[in-house]
Amino acid sequence: MSAALSGEDRAESIRMIRDSAAAVAPPGGDMKRVRDLRFQTPGFDPAILRQMGEMGWIGLRLPEEAGGAGLGLGEACALAEELGGALVPEPLIPAMLSASLLAAVGAGPLERLVSGEALVLTAWQERPDTLEVPGSPDAPRRFLPMAAGAASFLLPVREGGRIALYEQQAGAGLTTEQTQDGGHLGTLEPNLGMATRIADDIGEALTLALDEAALLTSAYLLGGMDRAFAMTLDYLKTRQQFGRIIGTFQALQHKAADVRMQIALTRASIEAAAATLDAGATGDARRAAVSRAKARGAASSMLVTRECIQLHGGIGYTDQYDVGLYLRKAMVMASQYGSAALHRRRFMAVSPEVEE
Amino acid sequence: MDAIRIPAPAELDALDDEHFRQVVRSFLHENYPEELRNPPKRLHWDENRPWYMKLAEKGWLCPGWPKEHGGLGLSPAKQIILTEEYERYGVARTNDHGIVMLGPLVIKYGTEEQKQRFLPKILTGEHIWCQGYSEPNAGSDLAALRTEAVLDGDEYVVNGQKIWTTLATDANWIFLLVRTDKQAKKQEGISFLLVDMKTPGITVRPIINLEMHDEFCEVFFDNVRVPKENLVGQLNKGWDMAKALLGFERIFLGSPRQSGYALSRLKILAERMGVWEDAEFQDRYARLRLEFEDLKALYGTFVEKLKRGESLGPDVSMLKILQTELFQAITDTMLEIAGENAGLLEPMEGNRDLNIGGLFIQARPATIYGGSNEIQRNILAKNVLGLPG
Repeated sequence: MSAALSGEDRAESIRMIRDSAAAVAPPGGDMKRVRDLRFQTPGFDPAILRQMGEMGWIGLRLPEEAGGAGLGLGEACALAEELGGALVPEPLIPAMLSASLLAAVGAGPLERLVSGEALVLTAWQERPDTLEVPGSPDAPRRFLPMAAGAASFLLPVREGGRIALYEQQAGAGLTTEQTQDGGHLGTLEPNLGMATRIADDIGEALTLALDEAALLTSAYLLGGMDRAFAMTLDYLKTRQQFGRIIGTFQALQHKAADVRMQIALTRASIEAAAATLDAGATGDARRAAVSRAKARGAASSMLVTRECIQLHGGIGYTDQYDVGLYLRKAMVMASQYGSAALHRRRFMAVSPEVEE
Repeated sequence: MDAIRIPAPAELDALDDEHFRQVVRSFLHENYPEELRNPPKRLHWDENRPWYMKLAEKGWLCPGWPKEHGGLGLSPAKQIILTEEYERYGVARTNDHGIVMLGPLVIKYGTEEQKQRFLPKILTGEHIWCQGYSEPNAGSDLAALRTEAVLDGDEYVVNGQKIWTTLATDANWIFLLVRTDKQAKKQEGISFLLVDMKTPGITVRPIINLEMHDEFCEVFFDNVRVPKENLVGQLNKGWDMAKALLGFERIFLGSPRQSGYALSRLKILAERMGVWEDAEFQDRYARLRLEFEDLKALYGTFVEKLKRGESLGPDVSMLKILQTELFQAITDTMLEIAGENAGLLEPMEGNRDLNIGGLFIQARPATIYGGSNEIQRNILAKNVLGLPG
């Protein structure tokens, strides 16, 4: 695994993955593709998902023997950040989560998923804002991102002390609700009678996969806030009112400086968490690192995108201007895989005392 | 309360305040369409027209206009009571630029001919007005506006562009601030012009905002010929007139109503999400609630001033800053406790009281329009605190 890479090799590996992201998220590219897919079904482009598979992204975290790229969270976070900057709507993070589960059990539609041929979503969630997996056999599974485009769903089902895994083909039992970013969230009625049992106990693998998804979501949000702020800085440097560039007004300069600090903290928190996990941290140490990064990413993505609207003034409140797209994305993703409040609570529950 | 008799319009201004309040409540109860209470978005003319026409029919359309022009002739104090009761009942705004802006301006500065020509048509709903002030490069710095009107024979020829024109697609008339002297200091070369929207050369283009609503528009003027008798007041005095009109109505930008509405919905959401009893949430809610109560008290002191017949000073900017930022803080909290529901486009569970994302987005422009909060803080710093610069 790349966790063993030296610092220099790691930096090079991360640079390469950032460069490769340009295939889907070209630097300086416009938002036409993203806008065209908004409020459509399934809300993403299956051909781009296949391309992600071909580039090795869906299996990025899987060991090479499982058909993956064997890369670490440093690389995965860098990739998620690049995609977040371009607001790429393809559900890579949920696909990676499902891939981790299937690779851990060595069964199910892993190959079709990793190649990007089929979207497989893990239907683990039964209520809002949680990381717990009750695994009730018949409770509706909720908040499935881009569910209308899924070929099948993985259902964790609790059986005694273990969590078995079933695969349910898409078709009946799915309803969807539109989201602010132009995507949707699905609710699935489980039908175990029609589902295929594929593993006996995925409890541990799922806990780990959810943590990784939370961290990647934070990285995606980081990419978004970074790009929204870059747009805002450009605006502050060009927009004139009262015969001056508005970026010369100290009140706006201080606001921009505050935003920049939040982005710096978010980046530091995510990079630290990725390094901690890549170094092999487990248990509470892993949970504390992830929760720190997700609490920060969720809170600062909202703060930063809100301020970016305000710093733009009226134009920022129009749908045709791109900065609003970042706010709408943050509204949807900030709470995925745990809200800021949930992760703050979890951090306090598992973190060691402050070192003095 | 149904038992309260509703006096003729001309008698309303003579009622004592409490009696008047009861009359307004009764009036709304009897006349306001139930389905239009607390609309989630600003209504278009085809939606609010029934209420506009009902007000017109009852003679209640123009509370602030003098009686001789068909208004109710209400004092500022009574107008505030009326507005409070409308807000409490969830009454939608109509296409009210003729009532609130253009009418009072024509009454104050227009010729007799202009009064007779324009005021009755506002009262019948025949003329629906919109306001053409802001431009792409004249927002906070409104006096920098560049849309120009050049006299050519008996007509002004108008060229330029307006933006953020509220409900321009509904309007058949627009009142404009236009540049009529490019040499003068920027505030001193601006005039006030009335333009029939059917005049050739006008293009209206709606702007979709973050609510995915077409409330605002761009309006383009390409060699639009306007009869010179449509100029209101003196040439090049338009800025002063528009400014003089910003009277006690400024207090409404600081009305705590939006925050009160949002707070009650925050409570409903917290109960639904099962966090209402949490100590941590209770503390957050208490902070917001206390902000709200104290803002209400501060708002009340400004209302008292108006009731005493005093005019508002620049310190009224405090209300706008406090109210809009509280409204935002409340909707931020809604998002933070809603989990994944925060991202839904439509109200959660189809319940209009759980319109989480919608309310959050509505709260965004409140700190931008009507003089951004940055501008309001400048006003406080310079005109209230006397700081230099």
